[in-house]
Amino acid sequence: MFSSQVFESALSISMFVLRILVPLLSTVVLVRCFVSLKRGRRREEPVVLLEDLASGLSIPVLYWENSIGRSKSCDIILPDSTCSRDHAVLYRRASGWIITDTNSKAGTYVNDKKIKEATQIIPGDVISMGSSRFALRRVSEGTVIQQKKKAKQPKISNKKAPSPTGLLGLTSVIHLLLTVQCCFVGGSFSAMPFIPFAALLAMSWGLYLISRKLLKRVSFEIETFGFLLSGVGIMLLCAEDFSLIYVQLASMFLGLCLFGFLIWFMGDLKRVMKARLWIAAAAIVLFAVNLVIGTEVNGSKNWINLGVASIQPSEFIKIAFIFVGASTLDKLQTAKNLWGFLGFTAICLGALMLMKDFGSACIFFITFIIIAFMRSGSIRTILLVLSGSALGVFLILRFRPYIAERFKAWRHVWEYADTTGYQQTKVLMYAASGGLFGVGLGNGYLKDIFAGDSDLVFGMLCEELGLVMGVVVIVAIAMLILFARNDATRSRSTFYSISACAAAGLLLFQTCLNVFGATDVLPLTGVTLPFISLGGSSMMAVWGLLAFIKASDERTYAVRRKGK
Amino acid sequence: MKTTGWRSLILYIIGAGFLAGLLFFICSYFIQGGSWAIRPSNAHITNDGQLAYSGEITDRDGNLLSYSRDGVQQYNDNALIRKATLHVVGDPNGYISTGTQYAFRTQLSGFNPITGVVSPFGNAITGSNIRLTVSAEMSAAALQALNGKKGAVAVYNYNTGEVLCMVSSPTFDPLNIPADIETNSNYEGVYLNHALSSAYTPGSIFKIITAAAAIETIPDLDSRTFYCSGSTVINGEKITCDGVHGTISFQNGLASSCNVVFGELAVELGRDTMTKYAEQLGCNTNFYLDGNPNKMSAYHVEEADDNALAWSGIGQYTDTVNPYHMMILMGAVANGGTPVNPYMIQSVTNSFGLQTKTGKASNGRQMLQPSTAQRLQELMRYTVSNYYGDGMFPGLQAAAKTGTAEVGDDKIPTGWVIGYSQREDLPLAFAVVVEEGNYGRNSAGVVANTVLQKAAALYT
Repeated sequence: MFSSQVFESALSISMFVLRILVPLLSTVVLVRCFVSLKRGRRREEPVVLLEDLASGLSIPVLYWENSIGRSKSCDIILPDSTCSRDHAVLYRRASGWIITDTNSKAGTYVNDKKIKEATQIIPGDVISMGSSRFALRRVSEGTVIQQKKKAKQPKISNKKAPSPTGLLGLTSVIHLLLTVQCCFVGGSFSAMPFIPFAALLAMSWGLYLISRKLLKRVSFEIETFGFLLSGVGIMLLCAEDFSLIYVQLASMFLGLCLFGFLIWFMGDLKRVMKARLWIAAAAIVLFAVNLVIGTEVNGSKNWINLGVASIQPSEFIKIAFIFVGASTLDKLQTAKNLWGFLGFTAICLGALMLMKDFGSACIFFITFIIIAFMRSGSIRTILLVLSGSALGVFLILRFRPYIAERFKAWRHVWEYADTTGYQQTKVLMYAASGGLFGVGLGNGYLKDIFAGDSDLVFGMLCEELGLVMGVVVIVAIAMLILFARNDATRSRSTFYSISACAAAGLLLFQTCLNVFGATDVLPLTGVTLPFISLGGSSMMAVWGLLAFIKASDERTYAVRRKGK
Repeated sequence: MKTTGWRSLILYIIGAGFLAGLLFFICSYFIQGGSWAIRPSNAHITNDGQLAYSGEITDRDGNLLSYSRDGVQQYNDNALIRKATLHVVGDPNGYISTGTQYAFRTQLSGFNPITGVVSPFGNAITGSNIRLTVSAEMSAAALQALNGKKGAVAVYNYNTGEVLCMVSSPTFDPLNIPADIETNSNYEGVYLNHALSSAYTPGSIFKIITAAAAIETIPDLDSRTFYCSGSTVINGEKITCDGVHGTISFQNGLASSCNVVFGELAVELGRDTMTKYAEQLGCNTNFYLDGNPNKMSAYHVEEADDNALAWSGIGQYTDTVNPYHMMILMGAVANGGTPVNPYMIQSVTNSFGLQTKTGKASNGRQMLQPSTAQRLQELMRYTVSNYYGDGMFPGLQAAAKTGTAEVGDDKIPTGWVIGYSQREDLPLAFAVVVEEGNYGRNSAGVVANTVLQKAAALYT
């Protein structure tokens, strides 16, 4: 009797220590991932030079895609009144350097021949725009003039970047610590949680070997990041109900396949730009199918039952949405209006409204704002869209007041604790019960509340693993915007920059809706928490979205040179 | 390409929104986390709506009043003490919301923002222990003296603010809850602490407030005389007095509780002055006991004609006062015009033995000019020594005023006494109300004397 009490106390204290260790180590991994990404970033050095044949001075070409013109916003500014504001785009693809005219008045000439379409050029070729004439030179061949005052160079530290192997190793250690906690759920030992642990181990190191050894990719930060968070989610579910994890693990595997496929698919931007129309059409068809044969779950008709499994098409359409919205620089400079994308957005939002999936509608809307701004840079357009939609929301609430009823409990959840505030009060009650370090995996009660492991999962995370871990997880998702911004000018195309920023913004906004909705900071809308929530479609889509951020890292498509 | 660089800053807008929301949530957690977690429906800490484990509540002498283990609420062994301290401690179902069990459930349950409601050591969490300033023995004496009548007793130390006794009747034994508690009219209002959460018609005790207004407003008050023929006519209707006092001074008017004197004074002072002083002395405002608000005393003469105004000055009309407020008013008189705020929580000691809260004396808002307080001290002491007789409070050097409040044509009046002891070793102020007590002197007065004699025996 006495020894069993001692054992219980010792076990309890060890579990408590593990619960303190997990967020600590996770923070280390996240910070090191970010540092590694920062260190791996290329310095802002010219890739090639444009030699001005009149003066003999060279203009550095800094980016993978460069707009050329009279406008101050161009990457290469021509102080030449005979040039158009946005004259041409000089960009690099796998085949080499390409120049394309972007509807300039005077036209663009390569070796004195007017070009009609994208034209490949090699060092030595002469490009004429208006009265300016340039020759393409290698960096070693010319003297660089500074276009503007010396751009501040990020300090490059001599310290070595964190080793990708070490970071993934530490991630596996975190998973192991969670697995051990899972083994002692209910006070007795069970080895079953090592099954999902082994699956996580196989998937993460499998992808690592393929990516680093087979494909010779240098970086692995984004993947490590995704594995860390997915593992936390899977262990949380494993402690709740072992039978849930098979679908979740399978979805994660499919998500990884989607991740790999999308990175391959985005390797050829010509292919992507051609496929965009088909992707848009497929998305609309999917929405239509959903509306016709979809099943209604908890008031939202956003599920399709496929017999063996149910899928939530709107999760996958998020990926399609970003494909349709993002664009390469040459396309941005020639087709400046947003009408096509605006129309597609309207169809998506309309379909989601018909499904009564307001949370997803908000997510699509915010993603639209991000993409629209990154494409146009026009604050006026954004304000116009925002005021238009505010009017729309006002009209909806004016004529359909029962929609507002759904949000009546917001900021008054304790008054509606038996009705519309029920879920939020349970989240607050149980999240607070966990304190900073939680009551332990599997010891929570929020999992017994409806949607406890999906819409309310942040509460479950806080209850079982503690507020600190909850904050680490959501701050990690927020850090994706830093990852995306880090590569915004370094990526191989504006397509990658825009899609990465859109994906990061989407994931962060979805996190805000989930976390703040469940904790009554915002009205409850019922969306999933990326990586953590139970839900196969969500898990797959999140890995798909990560592919955008991965693709924007220019190293993804670089082949490691031998000997380096 | 460089434009996408600065345009990507739009992400920081979402990021800023996220950080603001997160900060808001974390702050709310540290401020309100306890009240989120400590809910009857929280399966971690409760068992059928009761705190499964809670710290101990003890009285000022260390007598154990309540604690809970394995979801069962435990109480003191003595049934009389259980009944007498019920409203201060709380009932097993948490219906008495001003009780310590309910009001301090966060501390008793052991919630802290670091470990939540669980202990890292795996054993059941034990919350903080709470020591009250209340005396179980005085409470028992008070309940016994009430002798089954409905009413309330409130006693506090006007120098330190410690509440020594707060008893409300009807009450019940929390270990033997009566089966007919919901249906029997004898238990009507049983879940209210009448001392804190009820207000009664004051009757003559309100004359203290009218007197304070008169002392501060009428310069020649003490040289004046009034004439009482047993009644007076104001605005065409009679104001009746219990006696025929003839020509009478202000001092004797208060001591003999002459309605004619105070009716005429109220009319002379007028609605505005009467309202001003009633509010200055605590009517129409809240007082708090460890965060719990009292039931406000009410004085409203906006709609009153002169006759009604006269009745309001002698504690009838629509006047209602709260016993806790009356006790504080007596504290103000005893303390030179500014009361010390009462408190009931002596200390909260967490499971590590650290005191997280201790009761301390703090001054309330000034109610009376020091000279007015001084004059009221003399008047109230004079009332006891020359009219009631010190036999009413033997050896206590009491200053007091009784009241007999009419509450309806065929109902027995409510008996009141408010006052304080002028003994330096017994600095206690009190308010006692007894429903259907009839003459305050014979009902409430007896209860007050019993409780104070008990205090003198225990603590001097």
